[in-house]
Amino acid sequence: MAALVLPAGLLVTLLLVAPMLLLFRISLNEYSPTEMMVEATTAANYLRAVADPYYRSVLGTTLAVATGSTLLALVLGFPAAYWLARMQGRWKSLATILVLFPLLVGNVVRAAGWLALLGNGGAINAALLGLGLVAAPLPLLYNTGAVVAGIVAVVLPYMVLTLSAIIESIPRQTEEAASNLGARPMTVFRRVVLPLALPGVAAGSVLVFVLCMNTYASAVLLGGPRFKMMAPAVYDQFVRGNNWPFGAALAFILLGITLVLTVAGSAVLGRRYRRRETEERA
Amino acid sequence: MGELVLDALGKRFGASVAVERVDLEVPQGQMVALLGPSGCGKTTTLRMVAGFVPPSAGRVLIAGKDVTRAPPHARDTGMVFQSYALFPHMSVAENVAFGLEMRRVGRADRDARTREALRLVRLEGLEDRLPRQLSGGQQQRVALARALVVNPAVFLLDEPLSNLDAKLRGEVRMEIRALQQRLGLTTLIVTHDQEEALTMADRLVVMERGRVRQVGTAEDLYERPADPFVAGFVGRCNLLEGALEAPGRFRAAGGEVLPCAAGPAPGGRSVLALRPEHIRIAPSTDGPARLRAATYLGAQTEYHAELGGTPLVVVRPTPGAEDPLRRILPGDAVSLSWDPSAARLLPAAPHDERGA
Repeated sequence: MAALVLPAGLLVTLLLVAPMLLLFRISLNEYSPTEMMVEATTAANYLRAVADPYYRSVLGTTLAVATGSTLLALVLGFPAAYWLARMQGRWKSLATILVLFPLLVGNVVRAAGWLALLGNGGAINAALLGLGLVAAPLPLLYNTGAVVAGIVAVVLPYMVLTLSAIIESIPRQTEEAASNLGARPMTVFRRVVLPLALPGVAAGSVLVFVLCMNTYASAVLLGGPRFKMMAPAVYDQFVRGNNWPFGAALAFILLGITLVLTVAGSAVLGRRYRRRETEERA
Repeated sequence: MGELVLDALGKRFGASVAVERVDLEVPQGQMVALLGPSGCGKTTTLRMVAGFVPPSAGRVLIAGKDVTRAPPHARDTGMVFQSYALFPHMSVAENVAFGLEMRRVGRADRDARTREALRLVRLEGLEDRLPRQLSGGQQQRVALARALVVNPAVFLLDEPLSNLDAKLRGEVRMEIRALQQRLGLTTLIVTHDQEEALTMADRLVVMERGRVRQVGTAEDLYERPADPFVAGFVGRCNLLEGALEAPGRFRAAGGEVLPCAAGPAPGGRSVLALRPEHIRIAPSTDGPARLRAATYLGAQTEYHAELGGTPLVVVRPTPGAEDPLRRILPGDAVSLSWDPSAARLLPAAPHDERGA
């Protein structure tokens, strides 16, 4: 049986672990404007990233946008996931395809579409100007709102599918029992559906949060040149600045913070369940 | 507490009719069983009473109040689900207290009533367990306690025993009935198990394909079935097609003439209903019937005989060792006889669409 994971295991080792180890080694090197990279073992790149107010603000923006987008995806995704999970019969597969449909459009193509919709010469501003409702184009693009909207549109299918899988596992009769005992619909949600869906809320949020933290295309195309998140900053260091050691350090800071937050987040959400498990063993 | 009235209740799902029309009164404190094969509309009827299925026609009245349009949480019914539907993330006590909490019963009162309900179903000491740590029978009792503790106007049971093993089923059946009578609960139970219905309910409603076939006590249904469906569904029954030739003479489709109750005027197709235990069987040298098979069932023995072209099932107390009947073999000639009054004539065609 163990042999079954071998091909995938080799691929992951070769294409993920090995480059990451290399990247980590690079992050400890020194940068020199003339020689690009000098072999060394120093934490200077990490210290610089943490000390520099600019990168601190980039990290802050990334965390804020990722957290906000995850919460928004959760709030928007839960009702849709519930609807999908409780759907019956032949319409269900159609609805599932509909939820998956946005994934068929790549992030760049989608962001380009948003440009055409939200830009100064885009469809919405053209319509508003044409109707005389505004005197000058509204600044719909190149702000945090546009980036969050773009990201949420990308990650929503992941959230909906993860949540609907767990909601499907909650028997409809459990909800009926609660309403039979006098619980109004919101109470049924709060006392029965939400607590039982918590593992799915944790899984979906972790998945989506990781995707949000690593946002690239939406940040660059919808945020504009002055809007910076971590992934584009890493890219800038590697490609524009040719500063591989610093770029690698930024990448590891992004990775580390994402890891710590997702582990902490799922621990908090899973606490209730683990408490139960311990009680059971006791 | 109160009585339950279903007034011309019906449900259609698109073009298909789940429940054609149900008229029923369950007086305060009575237990009525909806009995029928799967797909007969009994569960849909129960769900309309609970408010989970909006009726297409008719009304539901609980304690004189029209609740047809009321949402489930405003109906004051206590339901025990087939799957129990306990809240898996709540302890036994939390499950039972849920309905009281929804009714904003104070903490002290809530705890006392929860304890009392758990005592009633003999689950003291398991308050802090989670449902999945309980056996099926215990889970079932939590479900009972959870529905009972709110003192509902109407108690609803949806196939409550179908997930229990046979031995437990008999016990729980008695327990539920005892609780229901002691607390004077107006109860509607859905079941496909006739034995369950016969032993628990004051009155039974036999349903088939969305229609009520007959309403009556266990005795009414068994001894005076209204039609061949009820006769065949409640207990076992030989149902022979044919026609009444003369008063007391029934000609079966196979050609045999059989004695029967006087019945209505001769002529027209009808069905002769004859319970297996009402037929006497004896070895015979030239009897008109042949034995096809005999199955020893302990206290009883079941005989499959053929009279001309007509198969008949006979169930008799197992004869003593000396009785010649004990030694008959398949293929032997037998004579069959019965009291003509035990052979009831029933209308042949199933009831028309109106269920008249």
